[in-house]
Amino acid sequence: MRYLGLIAFTLVAFVIQTNAQRKIDFVEYDLKNGLHVILHEDHSTPIVAVTVMYHVGSKNENPERTGMAHFFEHLLFEGSENIGRGEFSRYIENAGGVLNANTSNDRTFYYELLPSNQLELGLWLESERMMHAKVELEGIETQREVVKEEKRQRMDNQPYGMLLAETMSHAYTEHPYKWTTIGSMEHLNAAKEAEFQQFYRTFYVPNNAILSIAGDFNIEDTKKLIDAYFSEIPKGTFAIPRPTVVEPTKTAEVRDTVWGKDQLPLVVQAYHIPAEGDDDYYAVSMLNKLLSDGGSSRLNKSVVDEKQLAIFAGAFSFGMEDPGLTLTFSMANMGVDPSELETAVNEEVDRVKNELITEKELQKLKNQIESEFVGGNASVAGIAESLANYRMYFGDTNLINTEIDKYLAVTAEDIRAAARKYYTPENRVVLYFMFDENAANGN
Amino acid sequence: MKFFKYILPAIMLLAACSAPKIDRSKAPAAGPAPAISLGEYSTFKLDNGLSVIVVQNNKLPRVSYRMTLDRAPIFEGSKAGYVSFAGDLMKTGTTNRSKSEIDEAIDFIGGDLNTFSTGISGSSLSKHSDALLEVMSDVLLHPTFPEEELEKARKQALSGLASAKTSADQISANISNAATYGLSHPYGEMQTEKTTNAITRDDVVSYYNAYFRPNIAYLVIVGDVTVEQAKEQANKYFGSWKADQTPRANYATPSNPSGNRVVFVPLKGAVQSVINICHTVELTPGHPDAIAVSVMNNILGGGVFGGRLMQNLREDKAYTYGARSNVSPDRIIGEFSAYASVRNEVTDSSITEFLYEIDLLTRERVADSTLVFIKNFMNGNFARSLENPQTIANFALNTELNGLPKDYYATYLGKLAAVTADDILRVAKKYLKPENLNITVVGNKEEVGEKLSVFAANGKVEYFDMYGQPWSDLMPAPEGVTAQTVINAYFNSIGGMDQMKKLNTLVEVGKMNLGPMALDFTRKFKDNNKMLMVVEMGGQVFMRQALDGERGSSSQMGQTENVEGDELAGLKKEADLMYLNRPDQYGLTPVLKGIGSIDDQPVYVLDLMKGGALKSTEYFSVESGRRLRSSESVDTPQGAMEIVVDYSNFKTTNGYTFPANIKQLVGPQVIEIVIDEMQINKRLTDSDFKVD
Repeated sequence: MRYLGLIAFTLVAFVIQTNAQRKIDFVEYDLKNGLHVILHEDHSTPIVAVTVMYHVGSKNENPERTGMAHFFEHLLFEGSENIGRGEFSRYIENAGGVLNANTSNDRTFYYELLPSNQLELGLWLESERMMHAKVELEGIETQREVVKEEKRQRMDNQPYGMLLAETMSHAYTEHPYKWTTIGSMEHLNAAKEAEFQQFYRTFYVPNNAILSIAGDFNIEDTKKLIDAYFSEIPKGTFAIPRPTVVEPTKTAEVRDTVWGKDQLPLVVQAYHIPAEGDDDYYAVSMLNKLLSDGGSSRLNKSVVDEKQLAIFAGAFSFGMEDPGLTLTFSMANMGVDPSELETAVNEEVDRVKNELITEKELQKLKNQIESEFVGGNASVAGIAESLANYRMYFGDTNLINTEIDKYLAVTAEDIRAAARKYYTPENRVVLYFMFDENAANGN
Repeated sequence: MKFFKYILPAIMLLAACSAPKIDRSKAPAAGPAPAISLGEYSTFKLDNGLSVIVVQNNKLPRVSYRMTLDRAPIFEGSKAGYVSFAGDLMKTGTTNRSKSEIDEAIDFIGGDLNTFSTGISGSSLSKHSDALLEVMSDVLLHPTFPEEELEKARKQALSGLASAKTSADQISANISNAATYGLSHPYGEMQTEKTTNAITRDDVVSYYNAYFRPNIAYLVIVGDVTVEQAKEQANKYFGSWKADQTPRANYATPSNPSGNRVVFVPLKGAVQSVINICHTVELTPGHPDAIAVSVMNNILGGGVFGGRLMQNLREDKAYTYGARSNVSPDRIIGEFSAYASVRNEVTDSSITEFLYEIDLLTRERVADSTLVFIKNFMNGNFARSLENPQTIANFALNTELNGLPKDYYATYLGKLAAVTADDILRVAKKYLKPENLNITVVGNKEEVGEKLSVFAANGKVEYFDMYGQPWSDLMPAPEGVTAQTVINAYFNSIGGMDQMKKLNTLVEVGKMNLGPMALDFTRKFKDNNKMLMVVEMGGQVFMRQALDGERGSSSQMGQTENVEGDELAGLKKEADLMYLNRPDQYGLTPVLKGIGSIDDQPVYVLDLMKGGALKSTEYFSVESGRRLRSSESVDTPQGAMEIVVDYSNFKTTNGYTFPANIKQLVGPQVIEIVIDEMQINKRLTDSDFKVD
């Protein structure tokens, strides 16, 4: 036992020594209205990222109104009591900045990247958006059509564009992850003006948001400005709906074929995994890395290179606030039967279940993680978002500095255990995306 | 201490109340503009001619190496794809390492290594940089291009081509290049299944040997490294690389179309049209006009959300999720393009808006407020780009590659500030070609295709497949069916070849419906070499066309002219009811193209070729053998026009079956002939056919 203990000790020492990640300093506090503020100062470049993350995503939607959270993201660029229609982006771009937003299953994220002397402009615009956004009928009608085009462009007119939607709808029967963030166009058509107002009053409140700022500014001065712009926004008074439904544990494999116009068969296996932050989540992530990160990874080496069954084969997790999915995803080479491809993928997963990975292979995974974390905090925009993410999902902003340790703590045994526990037939959905003549003819 | 306990919250409360009151009604003023400083870089050259650019940045403990070849573009022709194969295959084996050893070594240090046709790049944490360079140098200097790896790459490429068949974006990128530069230019040619299958290992090896030379290479090193270390590393890992002369090539400058053309690639079931409107631009990087052109492009639709295309097509009309434009200067030939994905039913309306916005720039001076807005945005772009240390490296590389003045980027913001609205109008007039556009669309042919003919100067939509070849949606004809069997079936449907030989004269009497008018129509045929067509209104001759066996004439409203040349030949062919049985007499070669459909009825499609050019296309019912349609392209003063003649309502008279309804479409004009009576082998004299 002594011997084993020694090995563990040297491994830990190695970890501490090799962690080359730069420490990210930050301060954080709450305003009285519940707005959480995170500030990270970095004067390398005279720019600043002003971001607001709202804790609302597609999973908070009424099942009769799917797509609302994402649609709202579009509407909240329309203006406010003090900002005319279309002027939101105009102010930012005229100041030499860029802006955008995106919506996930769990949250909606808005950001502006500005020259540092325009920080206050960003605060004004974001506080206007939070305080009294204004949406006119014209804007609603226009953005409804724009969102439809977004859906056509991203899903309907893309090869394998329905992959994600099909995977989620097959994997979830109860949990709101079963619908897509873009949602249903019929639902959006049916939404009444009063519903929009209620959605705004419920979710777009300071106590449901994180203001995260990173870049070239002075923390003390900025605190005063934040106070001036945000503290007068009243706290929300409505209860914020958060889904409590727990997806029932799968007891039998779900298997289906999706027919479409794309020519090469594509095989997706989706396994249910714990929420992001769970110890097992990190073990699953390391397992995916083993399977598909780099040319020497198991799937790339065996399925793509040696057996030449696939044009691409990968494994990755959807880290989500509630228990999510981990996927293997492989596109067959021409003339390859998808079941042959699936078998080859399964063989590699079984190998992980049966044989402990070598110490060298584990070290490779750790080196890859380290490299990723070092590169991960290269831009102030990325840092602002990561800080908000860690706070929103885990209540621990400092994970930006310490999450790497959770990955590095994963052992070979943990990886084998994760494969055995989660990569089981009864825990998965298997979908074949296959070519169909009728679909190809547009029927 | 009690005192403090009470007073502290009070002070805090006071602080909260005394938060500076702000005026929400207007945007806050900006602070003083921050100084923008460009990072430093160093350059040096190795003895073998390798140029090295170093940007030291120690913020993160990582370093990247990117080596680029400065070579002329290559036209690959019948083996298109071999150049990219050479790039891909470099990292699949060296004299020292197998593919899996290379992969293992790079993955173990958490690094990455990429090889491509014009270079190689790698990055890692700085503590692993020697391990990275060890492999990188081996891959660059000693690749073996194993035969079996070529076969793997070929299989992957063929699968990739198959999967690209449903990618509207991918097809659009290819077809717009093909339309802009032409398939015989390096920028326009396409890799196909055929070219992919033709690639050999020799092609790949000779490309590598000819072009991977240090004397045309630039190595850019960025990150946690000193100039001294960089020098040491460059010499150690790339110093033994041998210099040699590399081939240069020149290409004819592609020309823009003389009028706007519409190039359409049908994509079944498409719910959006991917529009890409483009033309070549003669603009080199660093040209004195380049910055003004860049401002002009941003006004139209560069990265800025406030660009005209985005505001018009998205925010005003909601036709699209995004519409943008781009001007890319190039040392050989640059390109302008404007693009968006739009829903099927607004494709034509969207193109109208694109054309309006492009044209507007060349006609109207932009407002000063617009110019200031765009310049502010570009100023900010420049400043923001400096966050990434690669930007300085790119500036340095561009300066070297394009022979720019050393202070080109240091003085960029000054040059940007100096651009005026007059400059924008001048460069728009000079570089934008609103009347010489390639309007390319990938989308739904049935719902969109023909609606776009209005945008083409020649009134025609040109259909292509994803490889830029003329498009055909025909099914192959079954085995045993040939042009001759189709023609035989056609004559059988009339009454049989023997009956046809006995047909000496034919007279058709009926009405010609021309818009609201119904005119009296008579047509006579004799001996397969004489023909007369008369159209009358209330007994007055409106039109008369005659062929007496040799000469032809045509009169309209009293104006008479001789029919000569091609027109006379066409008339003679028309007079011969059996010309399809002897096409060679008219210089025609029938070619069976396959099976198409007319109103859900399967038809054989037969092209009549004359001297290699398409003369007309004939459509015969698969079931009955009857000819249902005939289409021909004719030159008119308005440009080429497509004449389509549809035959229907077949009637049998004395054992001969002919169409009683003949509908001719020329553009929007429809002429319908309804035959009331057919007379077979009625006695006619030659004088009936005398020419005027």
